[in-house]
Amino acid sequence: MGERPGQVIIAIVLLFVGVTLIQAVFGMDLDPLRSDGIAAYYLDNAMSDTAAVNAVAAVLLDYRAFDPFGEATVIFGSVVVVSMLATGGTLRSSGYGMSILVGRSIGFLTPFFWLFPIYVILNGHLSPGGGFQGGVSISVLVIVLSVAFGSEYTANRLSLERLGFAESAAALGFILVGLVGVLQGATFLANAAAGVPVGHPGELISAGIVAVLNIVIGCKVAAGLASIFFYMSKEGGEVR
Amino acid sequence: MTTTEIAYLAVLLLLVVVAVATVLMRSVFAAVISLSLFSVLTAVVFALLQAVDVALAEAVIGAGLSTAFFMSAVATTRGK
Repeated sequence: MGERPGQVIIAIVLLFVGVTLIQAVFGMDLDPLRSDGIAAYYLDNAMSDTAAVNAVAAVLLDYRAFDPFGEATVIFGSVVVVSMLATGGTLRSSGYGMSILVGRSIGFLTPFFWLFPIYVILNGHLSPGGGFQGGVSISVLVIVLSVAFGSEYTANRLSLERLGFAESAAALGFILVGLVGVLQGATFLANAAAGVPVGHPGELISAGIVAVLNIVIGCKVAAGLASIFFYMSKEGGEVR
Repeated sequence: MTTTEIAYLAVLLLLVVVAVATVLMRSVFAAVISLSLFSVLTAVVFALLQAVDVALAEAVIGAGLSTAFFMSAVATTRGK
């Protein structure tokens, strides 16, 4: 204890943060479902307003759709920063991946691995999950491929330029979907208020922009996180 | 206490144990794997609290993606 003055300072700061967090937890409004609260409004009206069965998706991508827009911008910014920090260098060939047994097994299982993210993204407005979870699953799939076959093999088939293009296109798609609301005379990212047909709750093609935004966010997150992994697994580059 | 509450408390207790173990691990790789176990347990807690959306995100990001990022960061900086 107290070997270095820095440790004492860190301990004091951590204690302060811990006390603040505990106070915040005990000061929380622990009755979020009270009848005059906004959570009760969402639970009562989400399905009739947006036709999305998953109330979380309705809140995220309809009532509060500007919030995922900010999250998507954060991911975009982090991809830009990582690509700036990890300039140059070559992808580590990581031997030639794992043994042929692992390679054949992964090759056989890859189509089934794709099923989960595609299901989660396409049914984001019907069941738990959505574009973000599905997109991260796709990027984990890319990481699995580059562990099993070597990152050079994977990057040759899925170039960084193509990933960057997919991410930028998805970001533009997000803005264009939002502008539909503005063009219809409602607010940015408006759904049913802008006259977008929402269909019937429970159907696969329903919920208006919620389903579209799930697909767009899925593409964007998958491309962004996969390219962050490729930038991080480069070697011999100049780290500024 | 119902069975669900007992299971919930057991997972919470295990969460604390795994968190302390992560900090005390000597090997960095063991700490990364232990952190991934922490994320899996957090996902179980979220699922028990019926926040399945958050549980899915936590399982995929915490146990899958951040483990891979940590591994590549450790492999890149090792021996420097």
